[in-house]
Amino acid sequence: MILQGKRVDLPAAPVVHQRFEAHAAATPDAVAVFWAGQEVTYAELNAKANRFAQFLFARGIGRGAKVGVCLDYSTDMLVAILGTLKAGAAYVPFDPAYPSARLQLLLGQVPDLALIVASPATAGMVETADAEIVDLQEMAGQLENLPATAPDVTVTGDDICYAVFTSGSTGTPKLTAVRHEGWFNLMNWLTLEYGLHSGSNHLVVSAFGFDLSQRSLMTPLFCGATQNLMASRNFDAMMAYRMLTERGIRVVHCASSTLYLLIDWENARRGDALTRLDYVLFGGEALKVERLLEWQAREGNTCTLLHQYGVAECTDVATSYDLGAYRTGEHPVPPVGTPAYNTDIHLLDEELRHVAAGEQGEICIAGASVGKGYLNNGPENAKFTTIEVDGQPLRVYRTGDRGHVNEAGELVVLGRIDAQVKVRGMRIDPTDIERALARLDGVREAAVAIAYTEAGEAELIAFTVPAGADLAADALRSGLLETLPRNMVPAHFVNVPRLPLSPHGKVDRVALVDAHRKQNAAGGLAA
Amino acid sequence: MTTVESVRAIWCRELQAEDISVDDDFFALGGQSLIMVKIQGAFLDELGVEVPMDQMFLNSTVASISAYIDSQAVRAA
Repeated sequence: MILQGKRVDLPAAPVVHQRFEAHAAATPDAVAVFWAGQEVTYAELNAKANRFAQFLFARGIGRGAKVGVCLDYSTDMLVAILGTLKAGAAYVPFDPAYPSARLQLLLGQVPDLALIVASPATAGMVETADAEIVDLQEMAGQLENLPATAPDVTVTGDDICYAVFTSGSTGTPKLTAVRHEGWFNLMNWLTLEYGLHSGSNHLVVSAFGFDLSQRSLMTPLFCGATQNLMASRNFDAMMAYRMLTERGIRVVHCASSTLYLLIDWENARRGDALTRLDYVLFGGEALKVERLLEWQAREGNTCTLLHQYGVAECTDVATSYDLGAYRTGEHPVPPVGTPAYNTDIHLLDEELRHVAAGEQGEICIAGASVGKGYLNNGPENAKFTTIEVDGQPLRVYRTGDRGHVNEAGELVVLGRIDAQVKVRGMRIDPTDIERALARLDGVREAAVAIAYTEAGEAELIAFTVPAGADLAADALRSGLLETLPRNMVPAHFVNVPRLPLSPHGKVDRVALVDAHRKQNAAGGLAA
Repeated sequence: MTTVESVRAIWCRELQAEDISVDDDFFALGGQSLIMVKIQGAFLDELGVEVPMDQMFLNSTVASISAYIDSQAVRAA
């Protein structure tokens, strides 16, 4: 089974920042970014980015190099990103909301890390012997003396534009690289397919480290619109909601978990700013779809909810679905829709042969969006493999998700073929958390499983075998918060005498969750 | 009610716990961002104060977030 995306020609050199430069030339006085009460025009942002690119170029930082960006959402973040791209290098986002220990672990995983852009508020978290840290504000005087034109660097569609971290089964996050062609193709598809234009004022409300935040940040600059950034490190429903009205936002980019919070905020205060949007583009699983549909059915709701499915390894988005077309009961779960331009979904069996129409298979992605692979993990790159289609070799990425294509020709995701889980929209490998738990004092063994609350919310449960006395949940939680991002810290901690094994000798997470649920129902365990 | 008492009552309700001390840490109590948004909303609706999420993360005990709220009230007065 193959689900084909529409074929749309790309420029000979599909290079993301060149599209931004074209807007800077055509509409220099249009507002590119609004942040902290200040508007910055395309011409101003372009000149700032050019100067930073010249700075990098003069230091020999270009193609193949990585520039770390550890900043809160700000105009400087866009200057750092665009400047890096213009120099021909790739950027790696470091989310300052992560614990310092996590950032240090991530830093050590970046090959050819040439430089880190940070601010006084973030620099202390990313200090490393391997790369110099620069602060754009501190070096403003130095940058002013550099040419406001871009350095003469040739960048191709196959060059890496950014690399983001995804949770890994070895306990080490994987650094996955995305190519300019894939990123360009994704934003070109969003722009043309959904008619995003220069008047489509955008707001991004997802954490900087997430894969979906990369296209959320760049899409408005790709289509000549205004990007609105919140001066907030953590997701802030109150501030986001206020910006919707005060800034006349038309398009919001977020994760599904954030969308629920925004809808809750609106419902609790009987507002209508969200319903008056043109689009919400959101990634992550739409688990509580009834709540979304209920909100969408509100009178006067003109907002189209676009639910997007994909993986970081293939430029974040592979398919998109208009949730307004979904009727509860028709299918148990909403489909994830049809592919992006120049992107194909192949459903394959264990031997990498195509399954028949209607049958389940592993969702594999081919086409423009397929990334460069992991930069720090050779063995895991086996997930990028070559199959034969009509006698021709074809590079595909095996997502590990199971799916089928429904009668309407839409992809439906049915689950995972391995232990990976998704919590609040983010892919998490439980073994990553299990290793962090096992490093804590008093923990002999640990298993992490996913469970769903009555409201349909996915939650992580940690089962720990104590080495001695029973382990206190708050001690484990504080211990994990030292090394893991908040979204990876389990909601519940349960002491168990041993970890049950399945007949295959693997930890039986299903049995653990079942036992926990039964005990809870009997009024036994407190979380 | 003092700010501390009001804040503690909101925390107890949203965290579904009865014995929260003013120095207990929100995250150690099992608090998650979902609950924090509810608390932020309660501060706005019930106490009439806008508390940015970044401040909620920085001040993760009843005592410290109450002190923040009081400092804002003084500034506004």
